[in-house]
Amino acid sequence: MLAATLPEHSNDGYVAAAYIVFLAIVLIYVAIMAVRLGRVQRKVEELRGDTDTGRLARARESASEEEPSTHTFQGANPGGRGPRAEGEGKEREKV
Amino acid sequence: MRSPSLRALSISTVAAFCVALSLVFFYAPIEAEEGFLQKIFYLHVPLAIVTLAGFVIGGLMAIAHLRTRDARWDLRSYVAIHMSLIFGAAALVTGSIWARASWGHWWVWNEPTLVSFLIVFLLYATYQPLRFAIEDPERQARYASVFAITAGAFVPLNFIAVRLSASYVHPRVLGGSSNLPAPMMLTFLVSLAAMALLFATLYSYELAAKRTRILLKARSRILGFQ
Repeated sequence: MLAATLPEHSNDGYVAAAYIVFLAIVLIYVAIMAVRLGRVQRKVEELRGDTDTGRLARARESASEEEPSTHTFQGANPGGRGPRAEGEGKEREKV
Repeated sequence: MRSPSLRALSISTVAAFCVALSLVFFYAPIEAEEGFLQKIFYLHVPLAIVTLAGFVIGGLMAIAHLRTRDARWDLRSYVAIHMSLIFGAAALVTGSIWARASWGHWWVWNEPTLVSFLIVFLLYATYQPLRFAIEDPERQARYASVFAITAGAFVPLNFIAVRLSASYVHPRVLGGSSNLPAPMMLTFLVSLAAMALLFATLYSYELAAKRTRILLKARSRILGFQ
């Protein structure tokens, strides 16, 4: 479509090549950035998963060690989040 | 990475490129000697100017790093040089294509403009290997800054070499001898602005990505997952 509107010259190919090379370099760079971003996102998800797993394990640990009265306290919190979980929430805020 | 300023920068870059390409192909007149081939000028020259400016900016950021010992300046300097290398590679390739079409050779070794640009490019190509050859992060940042400043001093030499050179195969773009007609000058300036915006956008994305990765690593270490 562009070629139809442009005048025809013998060096058209070189001009097209220069602009295509530039476009290709930018696109390759953007693709690399996208791959890197995907990796970072996966890492964030992994980290989030690890944090949640660790938190759950610690919560279970503390639940088994603590007094029955604490169990009652935990039972009052939906999702089994006790005081430790609150502390971790603060740590996450910092992140 | 999803900040409003980055989005605004990206949109303005795309808009600037649309305007620049429209001007290049539909507004700027066809040059009398080179004909349609001269359209490469609006791509190659802004690329070269932005590359050299990026190297100088990298050097200035390195000075700020050495003065303040703030690691953020080192990161900025690194990203500016990294981006300039990519733009520099594009400038070299587009320049070679233009040279082949215009002079019949991919490269002319007795042309100071080309050779001095290549020297500056190759000099900066050693920046990353040098940087990552040093393990200690503080030493790495310090040495990289010294390198960026020293190499940055070579960039004005590129311009001076062009001005003082006797060989005039490569056309002179800026300066007193430049007599571009107004439509061509306008197109060139818009193309230069678009290229500078592209540099700023990619620089901002790269910087944001690098910062995110550094932060992620640090948090992983703090949480004991690495």
